[in-house]
Amino acid sequence: MARSYNIFVMVKQVPDQGSKAGINPDGTIDRARAKRMLNPFDRYALQAALHVKKKYGGTVTAISMGPPPAVEILLEALEHGVDRGFLLSDRRLAASDTLATAYALYKVIQYVGKFDFIFCGLQTTDGDTAQVGPQLAERLNLPQVTYCEDFSIENEKLHARRIIEGGYQKVVVDPPVLVTVANSYHPLEYKSFAGTYRVQQLQRNPEELGKFIKTIDLDLVGADIERCGLKGSPTIVAATEKVGEIGGSCVVHQGHSPEELVQELLKSSSIKDYLVAS
Amino acid sequence: MTEEAPVVAEVDVSQYCPKGEVLVVAEHILGELQPVTLELLGAGRLLADKMEKPLISIVMGHNLGDIPQRLIEHGADRVYVADHPELECYRTLPYRRVVCDFLESLPEPPHTCLLGSTTTGRDLAPRIAAHFDTGLTADCTELDIGPYEHKSKVDPSKIGLYPNCLYAIRPSFGESLKARILGPWKNPQMATTRPGVMIPLKSDTNRKGEIIKLDVQFKEEDSRLSVADTVREIAKGVKLTEADVIISGGYGMGTKEGFNLLYELAKCFPNSAVGASRKVVDLGWIPYQHQVGQTGKTVRPKLYIACGISGAIQHRVGMSKSTMILAINKDADAPIFKFAHHGIVGDVYQVLPELIKQFKAVQSGREVEAVVSAH
Repeated sequence: MARSYNIFVMVKQVPDQGSKAGINPDGTIDRARAKRMLNPFDRYALQAALHVKKKYGGTVTAISMGPPPAVEILLEALEHGVDRGFLLSDRRLAASDTLATAYALYKVIQYVGKFDFIFCGLQTTDGDTAQVGPQLAERLNLPQVTYCEDFSIENEKLHARRIIEGGYQKVVVDPPVLVTVANSYHPLEYKSFAGTYRVQQLQRNPEELGKFIKTIDLDLVGADIERCGLKGSPTIVAATEKVGEIGGSCVVHQGHSPEELVQELLKSSSIKDYLVAS
Repeated sequence: MTEEAPVVAEVDVSQYCPKGEVLVVAEHILGELQPVTLELLGAGRLLADKMEKPLISIVMGHNLGDIPQRLIEHGADRVYVADHPELECYRTLPYRRVVCDFLESLPEPPHTCLLGSTTTGRDLAPRIAAHFDTGLTADCTELDIGPYEHKSKVDPSKIGLYPNCLYAIRPSFGESLKARILGPWKNPQMATTRPGVMIPLKSDTNRKGEIIKLDVQFKEEDSRLSVADTVREIAKGVKLTEADVIISGGYGMGTKEGFNLLYELAKCFPNSAVGASRKVVDLGWIPYQHQVGQTGKTVRPKLYIACGISGAIQHRVGMSKSTMILAINKDADAPIFKFAHHGIVGDVYQVLPELIKQFKAVQSGREVEAVVSAH
């Protein structure tokens, strides 16, 4: 018996830190040159959203905020089986901290409409804060399940398992609810050929594509500009300093066979002492 | 524990909160006080002393036993206790209600509010920050108090000299930079820190402080989520934060299966555990619980063996205080060789099997020696 859930999934495009492109010699990131990717944690959120659609029925809407190239991750989401996407893109969002980001996303969600579930990645790999999900839930006055690693829907209630220190907690909650998905959840399934083909076709026809992926701005969603971007951000980065290089004291073994290297290590270090229980 | 928390006075909290306290939101799991709370009290004490203000704490739960007293012994001047059956185990909404109501009941909000960067703290802190529209900095590695002069004309209302600001310092990821984040415009200025980062004070049973009971009230909407079960997994091997020896793997391990070698190496050491860099956790090679680093666990083992880990700042802040660091990496220029104590430049798939072989030989040699000397 399929129910038609409205499922939202929040996604973000982040710099690919595994790639050397766009990494300046001083260690800072040049975001314009850096390779871009879907935030790795969002892949689990996407899997969770698509799982609800597949198993229980419904439509999945992907929502993102970022500069225009971020439309790439919405296309990627579409390839995976998401039904439609919204990208909030506006220069006035520049320098938003997590609170201003959560506010802007809250306005987008109000604009997009009703939902039963909002899935978010646990955190992003560029900001690393894990704050936007719960802050969004606060704005929407929603219950939340963070660190969710598995779930099912029974009698229209979400039964979820969330990580806690040294264990887990099982919780039951009535939708609507916001869920942040941990990376111990199931990995994102591969794109289907049909999904890839559909997106290829859509990309040849901008008008048709526009029906599924919409780029919107702050005026359209009715956001209070004072609460967005730098102005709406209670925190600022006041200073940065280079992290001091430590060391120079490392005893490096190299240039011999592995066998000799390990022998050298055992001779020159106290590592043997750890091998037996003290 | 059925003993009631000792209650010194039940009073109107408003008269107890002159401007500028440092607040630590205490954390426990089913009555087991979390070490991060004591660490935060240690850090909070330094901040409060610098401003010559009190350090206060709030603890929520049911039948909290001696927890409020222990918070005082570890540095709190005043402890606010919310004891109610609804608060027995952590749930976002009831806990959020109590903290927000408490803060609103004060004539002025505290200067600073600190929480642990745990699954609980990271769940609760953003809700409080959003409710009060105040700034929150995650996973700080250092905290301090200092002045700040804001000159930016973007928002003229913010221009000014702020004498006492919370400096929330964290590495900015992917960059070898430390960022000082602050937001003195609104109190409380909030921050979380990872367990293991801050240093607790020694318990002082002579320390005096006040314990104040809070009246708590909930709304129906606070019970939209219920907890069916809380499970602590004790049997699943040694906890990362308590291991004497940690064998950690990074992207240089190449595959998920490569981690089997690390588990095999770990078997050579008593009280050992396997850790991982953030990248491989992102890739799903190993669960999040194994992650060492700024967004993972902070560890201080006696021996840390980093295999195929480059040593980015994100990872370094989580393990650099290990007594001895051994790095194995095929890239001789990897940053990890700058702060490891011993390094082997080579392919992990050649070096690790050799390590295991020779370690085992040492161990069996020792056993033989031991047997011989026993006779």
